[in-house]
Amino acid sequence: MNQSNQPIVQLTDITRTYIQGEIEVNAVSNFNLEIKQGDFATLCGPSGSGKTTVLNMIGALDEPTSGIVSIEGQSLSELSRSEISALRRDRIGFVFQSYNLIPVLTAYENAEFVLALQGVKPAERHDRVMQVLKEVGLEGLENRRPDEMSGGQQQRVAIARAIVTRPAIVLADEPTANVDSATAEALLDLMQELNKNDGVTFLFSTHDQRVIDRAKRVIHLRDGQLESDVLQ
Amino acid sequence: MMLNRLAWKNIWRHKRRTLITGFSISFGVFLATTFTGIGDYTYTNMIDVSATMGLGHVTVEPAGYNLAPSLDKRLQNASQIQQQIMTLPQVTQTNARIMGQAMFASASKSIGGSFMAIDPATETPAANLFIKSIVEGELFASADTRGIAIGTVMAEKLNLRLGKKIVYTTTDVDGEIVGEVARISAIFHTGLDEVDGAMALLPINLMRKTLSYQSDDTSIITVLISDQRDAEMVRNEVAKIVRSEDVEILSWKKTQGDMNGFVTLKRGSQFLMELLIGLVIAAGILNTILMGVIERSREFAVMVAVGMAPLALFLLVMVEAFWLAIIGLILGIIITAPWFYYLFYTGLDYSAMMEGMQDVSAGGVLFDPLIRIRLFKESIIAILSGLFLLTLFSALYPAWRAMRTDTVDNLKTI
Repeated sequence: MNQSNQPIVQLTDITRTYIQGEIEVNAVSNFNLEIKQGDFATLCGPSGSGKTTVLNMIGALDEPTSGIVSIEGQSLSELSRSEISALRRDRIGFVFQSYNLIPVLTAYENAEFVLALQGVKPAERHDRVMQVLKEVGLEGLENRRPDEMSGGQQQRVAIARAIVTRPAIVLADEPTANVDSATAEALLDLMQELNKNDGVTFLFSTHDQRVIDRAKRVIHLRDGQLESDVLQ
Repeated sequence: MMLNRLAWKNIWRHKRRTLITGFSISFGVFLATTFTGIGDYTYTNMIDVSATMGLGHVTVEPAGYNLAPSLDKRLQNASQIQQQIMTLPQVTQTNARIMGQAMFASASKSIGGSFMAIDPATETPAANLFIKSIVEGELFASADTRGIAIGTVMAEKLNLRLGKKIVYTTTDVDGEIVGEVARISAIFHTGLDEVDGAMALLPINLMRKTLSYQSDDTSIITVLISDQRDAEMVRNEVAKIVRSEDVEILSWKKTQGDMNGFVTLKRGSQFLMELLIGLVIAAGILNTILMGVIERSREFAVMVAVGMAPLALFLLVMVEAFWLAIIGLILGIIITAPWFYYLFYTGLDYSAMMEGMQDVSAGGVLFDPLIRIRLFKESIIAILSGLFLLTLFSALYPAWRAMRTDTVDNLKTI
């Protein structure tokens, strides 16, 4: 799939202020960013630089104190709670640092979960889940529960869950933090292939140099502000 | 469908916890069945026994008789009314009875008491407690004979034995004092000293003559029915048959106000006790479900993050509670069944504890020392649906908490 110039995510003059006791803390100030379709970008910076706050706002998990967050041209502030749920379900994929799979569900069921929320018919769900599990290299492990899989395998399930709905963007927070080096490299290979072959847009938040090295675009944050935005 | 499958898997995440919650619900089934079942049996037994003490489940009587009983108030054409009432399917028996006050005297003593004039040809032990309680002799053979059945305490007070003569005096329909001599054909012992010391059975036809009544006159017609719960319905049906302003049709609730008050009070306190037990059980269920919700805060946050609507989380917890309730009720039925079987067929016999106690009565009815159990269909529905709803009610707050899961706080990082 070809990369287009249409922004999937647009942050305009975003400020996010938290109240800690009686002190106001600006986690992000006057922050602007565009993520385009096909990006394989990473947010990096020291702890407290605002990476997570930015990811939370793009994922519609948090709201800016001021400014506009738009996904595919739709301002999130104009959406109702249920519309935001639907947006997260249909257009955003999440990959978490600690996998966050539903422990009572098998690999198949975890990947199927969001499709079921979307109301996709069982036969189509089956085909799409089997296809995506094959893509992430989990063929034959469909019936294993998270506690029966390694960390790398669990993260592959998380990736499968994130991409099975064909979202506009996958937000991945430290996806390699809890796995060994070989597994991290394999996961990055997988995500790079998904980006290259299927055009899946990825935005990472990470300290991991391996992720930064592989990113096509590196966005540096410092003290809640954009320090640099470099294409590699 | 997905919610249902996920809820089912979730509740078996902690098997022990689910079973403990299930057992607490089943304990509720056990207690509610025991208390309600004993209540259903005991109160029905009391009402039925009371109905055999003279007034039946439903009474047809002259207007104003209930408030001011008097021998000058009488029903006419009793047989015809009885025949019409017997056409109702719920009615098992009707009896014409003359009831009044009299003085009973032996050669040496006299005491005041009550009489019930009956037709021995139509009365049965099942419909008449005094006949059932005869301990010496036999009931007079016909309604015209000069026989009498008295209680053991009256016999003792008057210093009389079986076969001895007794004189009774009362007032007739014109208010004149009238009397008769009768020979004691039977002595009964109900166990209620008040009754055994004051009640006498007399033949109705002889009493009609004594009181100057017509041959088909009577004080009251008593109606016995197969299920005491139908008393009000039968009362209304009888009222449709006997359309007269001079006649009143009353259910046992009116004619036996003391017992009605006793049963109502007991049922009320039983309901309150079951409610309190239910609240304790509900608190336990709430605690367990809430614990499960708080433990899964991060998991719920992930579900919201991947697109699950908060309302769906609410429903998920409610479906979990639904399955907990079903498991609890099934366990409850399994646990309670043998106990119910034992109480239904064998019962708890308190006679040894009551030995030496005289006149153990409640609401004017002798207390049965053998406690058994029975459950009306509506009681079964009330117990099962009550506990089911209680479990769902207990899950409302945890479900609301789940719905309000703060995604950012619980995920910390996405």
